[in-house]
Amino acid sequence: MTIWDIFKYKIAGIEVEAILKFIGAILIIVIIAKIVRTNIRRGLKDKLPDPTVKNIERFSYYVIIIIGFIASLSIIGISLSGLLVAGGILGIVIGFASQTVVSNFLSGIFLIIERPIGIGDAIKIEDVEGIVEEIKILSTTIRTWDGVYARFPNEKVFTSKIYNYYSSPVRRFEYKIGIRYSDDANKAIEIIKRVLDEHPFVLKEPAPVIFVDELGESSVNLSVRIWAPSNVWFSVKTEMLWKLKVALEKEGIQVPFPQRVIWMAK
Amino acid sequence: MAINSGRQIKMFGVYGLNLNIEKGGVKIEVSGGGREKNYFRKAGDEVIEKKIYANNGEIIISPVPPVNLPIHASNHLMIEFDKSIFVEPGVEEKIFIKFPVEIGVFLSDEKDIEPLDIFTKTKLKYTLYGRPEDGFVCRWWRSEIYKEIPNVDELYEGIMELKIKNSYSEWTEINKIVFNTLTMKIFYKNHAYCSANLEIIKKSMGKTSFNEKVEGMNEAIDLYLAKSRKLGISLAKEIGREFFMERGFK
Repeated sequence: MTIWDIFKYKIAGIEVEAILKFIGAILIIVIIAKIVRTNIRRGLKDKLPDPTVKNIERFSYYVIIIIGFIASLSIIGISLSGLLVAGGILGIVIGFASQTVVSNFLSGIFLIIERPIGIGDAIKIEDVEGIVEEIKILSTTIRTWDGVYARFPNEKVFTSKIYNYYSSPVRRFEYKIGIRYSDDANKAIEIIKRVLDEHPFVLKEPAPVIFVDELGESSVNLSVRIWAPSNVWFSVKTEMLWKLKVALEKEGIQVPFPQRVIWMAK
Repeated sequence: MAINSGRQIKMFGVYGLNLNIEKGGVKIEVSGGGREKNYFRKAGDEVIEKKIYANNGEIIISPVPPVNLPIHASNHLMIEFDKSIFVEPGVEEKIFIKFPVEIGVFLSDEKDIEPLDIFTKTKLKYTLYGRPEDGFVCRWWRSEIYKEIPNVDELYEGIMELKIKNSYSEWTEINKIVFNTLTMKIFYKNHAYCSANLEIIKKSMGKTSFNEKVEGMNEAIDLYLAKSRKLGISLAKEIGREFFMERGFK
């Protein structure tokens, strides 16, 4: 068998050569769509608001990909008119998706195209939290924080509400710190600012926000909101609270125990 | 043993596997006879000790892009100016600013370069360039603007020669500049040195890049090339050499 014979070999009635051409065409279309998207973003910047630019670039990207995909179908011998006559593309897709495996397969493709999650992302799907280990064509594997591997069918991933903790470069967290009513809140805020400034990953911008949030039953409650890079977010969160407590106590500001004032009748 | 002796002690350079340098609160020592060596480094309160087993080889002390500490969490450096710069359309101007120095200690032989230690005397602080949903985490530094080459402590700051060109049709205000440190070309002699460019393309967009050559200076070790050498790839050459500041100058 020569290489030429391999090209002429048929899979599901389609020649390997045609399949390779189809894959090549899709790759070229994706590259063209990305170039167009980048140029639209750079060209329209300063002329339109950011969300509008984002919508235009997304719309252009997917329109190019969909048109290119449909146009490329003729390479593997699928004619658009034929599909339309047979009931339309939508009908076929819905028909296929009614079967679980095909549904998972299509969901896997959409996951790869839309990319709501990526390998290494910290995510939450339903009640499962962890790191995405693998995104396969039929299933996605998540390693939970305690090291257990959870496998989700792609259809479940695609249709579930996903929280992706790594999709943005930075993340915010909040502490509630109570101080005594007799303590100076402004001084406490200054101390907290100073301690936060010393930590490399407490971001300078967006700047931490510290304010008196509540006059509680036993304490004046300060709210401390901190932004940190998403990939070190958890270590910063676990590190800073104790540092703040120690720094406040060193300056004579204490976190009070719950207390109640009782007035005795004469 | 004391290789770096004399009136002017320099930190950056190439040394044998026995060295003892002490300068500006930093002490680097490689000691021990035979194959087993002891590496000792003290900078401020931080002390690092490691073992080296080697017959030959060299120690290279070189400035590296300032994004490796306390852990590598970013590939971008933001330098905020102490004063705003306004640039007229069509104007090209050269200024000097300072950038933070991280010092890399490398083990080297004919075939390989391996990072042994990285430290800094500078304050580490990171910031975000752009919006929380799609911005860039950057190492942050503030610098004054100089017309001539300023004096620096080589262990603390390096000098960046920055050519600013306004190719846009309007006046532009600049408060900060952002670089991709994967493409950062650092040189050294008495101190770390970079030659960089900023071209203003739009009111709030520009591109920054580093120049490949600086006359009369030694080329610093390219940390990313050193790390990727074993894989046989050049990360820095695979990516674009320009960084697009698409999120403005303020």
